[in-house]
Amino acid sequence: MSAIELAPGAESNAFASMMATLVRQNLDDHPDRAWALKLARGRVSVEVLDLGMSITFVFDGERLVIYDGIRGIPDVRVRGTAELITISSNMESLPGIGLPDPRGETNQKLAKALRSGELELIGAVRNPLVFLCFGLILAV
Amino acid sequence: MSIPFPSEEWANAFGEAVNQNEDYQKHGKPWTFGDVAMIVRAEPAAGIPEEAGMILDVHEGRCRGVQYIVGEGKANAAFEIIAPYATWKEVIEGRLDPIAAMMQGKLDLRKGHLPTMIRFVESSRALVKSAAAVPTQFPS
Repeated sequence: MSAIELAPGAESNAFASMMATLVRQNLDDHPDRAWALKLARGRVSVEVLDLGMSITFVFDGERLVIYDGIRGIPDVRVRGTAELITISSNMESLPGIGLPDPRGETNQKLAKALRSGELELIGAVRNPLVFLCFGLILAV
Repeated sequence: MSIPFPSEEWANAFGEAVNQNEDYQKHGKPWTFGDVAMIVRAEPAAGIPEEAGMILDVHEGRCRGVQYIVGEGKANAAFEIIAPYATWKEVIEGRLDPIAAMMQGKLDLRKGHLPTMIRFVESSRALVKSAAAVPTQFPS
């Protein structure tokens, strides 16, 4: 059984398939991040507002299953445009620390979008672990 | 004078447009990951009897050469993006963002490393958008 799966029916959602491929290839490149998949428990939904698409990442401590649409009650909701959702995988990190670099061009764009409400991270503060793990497995 | 799409003449004009695109020169500067093929699916009804495509030898923000290919599986590039003719038309005319199109499954990354494509999302977008500068004649 694969650690990253598409839920039945999610194959028809191109965004879900794309995210499954991204996570698989990312973890192949960075096996040191596999701990994030084992540690994470909870649901993270991603809503691409301008395309009317949504998916849900469900972490159970062993596997990640990606569903089409909103599945259950997400612990964290990420809402934004396709542009913002895509570039959020490109956040710049401080060397050696791994925390976001406030000087990074992408980070500044995302911070501005968060302030203006173009990008919303609902529940991220209340559920930092699942959000951190989610960010880690998607960071390119 | 407009150039028929897809064709060898169009591919060469596209290569020149890439080299005149300052946005691509900026965002594509770190790109050293191989050639990129933009492939049109076979669609006899649209006057495209066989798969056809442009392989761009892009490196560090420049296009070093272009190859026009016709026939299934002839591309053999590091990155292969395939779509129906109508989708490419929308992208070339600037009516469809290439990244949003990938999320919707309209453009398919048939071959290549998705995390790299995401990491260079601005580069990829600028590359494809260079096509807007080519005066294009689409089959009716």
